[in-house]
Amino acid sequence: MDLIKNWRIHFFALLLVIVAEKIGIQKFGLIVFLPLFYALLFGGIISFPKFKLLSDSNMARAGQFMPIAMLVLMVKIGLGIGPNLHMLMHSGLALIMQEFGHFFGTLLFGLPVALLVKMKREAIGACYSIDREPNVAIIAEKFGIFSPEGRGVMGMYICGTLFGALWVSILAGIIAKLGIFHPYALAMGAGIGSASMMAASMGSIIAAHPEEAQKIQAYAGAANLMTTVVGVYFALFISLPVTIKVYEFITGNKSSKTSAATEVLNHER
Amino acid sequence: MKDNWSDIIFIIVITCVLVIVANLLSYGGKLSDNLLGSAIIGAITLLGLFIARLPLLNKLPVVFWVSLTAVILSIPGVPGSEWIVEQTKHINFLPITTPILAYAGLALGKEIDGFKKLSWRIIPVCLAVAAGSFICATLMAELMLHVEGIF
Repeated sequence: MDLIKNWRIHFFALLLVIVAEKIGIQKFGLIVFLPLFYALLFGGIISFPKFKLLSDSNMARAGQFMPIAMLVLMVKIGLGIGPNLHMLMHSGLALIMQEFGHFFGTLLFGLPVALLVKMKREAIGACYSIDREPNVAIIAEKFGIFSPEGRGVMGMYICGTLFGALWVSILAGIIAKLGIFHPYALAMGAGIGSASMMAASMGSIIAAHPEEAQKIQAYAGAANLMTTVVGVYFALFISLPVTIKVYEFITGNKSSKTSAATEVLNHER
Repeated sequence: MKDNWSDIIFIIVITCVLVIVANLLSYGGKLSDNLLGSAIIGAITLLGLFIARLPLLNKLPVVFWVSLTAVILSIPGVPGSEWIVEQTKHINFLPITTPILAYAGLALGKEIDGFKKLSWRIIPVCLAVAAGSFICATLMAELMLHVEGIF
């Protein structure tokens, strides 16, 4: 049985949980470190192939565990929505509009950086969405996984898996501590549509505003639910076509102006 | 996720046990409260998974059905919702995230080979994309909550 065959995984998981919770929430100025952060970081170190602590099949098993374990968290978040349904109904417009922030934010922030580091059509795959599993599937179907767009989406997928949760946990913590945004707005921002990124950013927001924990959970949960339901369709019918258009417009598949400029830059190197 | 119910139940049970450990270490509380709260959350997860596998309903993501099941069971007026919400309050949000991200961490090793093949360029882009999604949505929410007069 699994418990005997993969005992190492569950033993390490237990160890990680105990160590992470013993360290507890630590605050250094604007940065908040949560137990989930240590669990992810130390877990990543344990799984480092060089140490040979885990076999490939062990790791694959841990990967199988994740989506189902995540559902347990979704239940907890869901249970916080019902009692606050009335409040959420009153902010229906905000819940709908924040989705546009989620969907176009990736393009708005990502594409300039991608062009700055001179990415080519990889930028389309990398920037059109947050690039979790359903988004990878969309690109794979349209362009194939070995196309430039496919390389972009896979790169983002791997990179997001490795650093996504750590990064948004730190980022959300800092932004929450700056006090520019209301905790409810931050909570909706946390509904990124990637479960681990949502958990990480929501954790940091709750750590910064513990008195609002219940409502933050309700808002983030509702936002994440929306991203999950409409996300795939939005990515397929709006985000991807828009990203392609914007990319082609800026890089000038049609006008040679920008490509000439890049050539000059390359030449100067 | 395949339709292997014994495996699904096994994963949910292990997760719930680790959640209890995390919750006891961080928030404390009585063991019996922790056991009951965690068991209810686990049972709802299983119910949600079952609903998600029903014909027709399986067209939408599992996450959606599981969340929706939990939402409905917590709406005031739904039979048993008060009891469910009261009992599951003993289990906090953060302790549930710890075991999940522990498993996420333990699975990271298999991504490292793929990561080595990537160009360094993807890293700044990845950070910008994730930041963009979070910041822009927060901004939109902030604006709209003002418009709606929530604060």
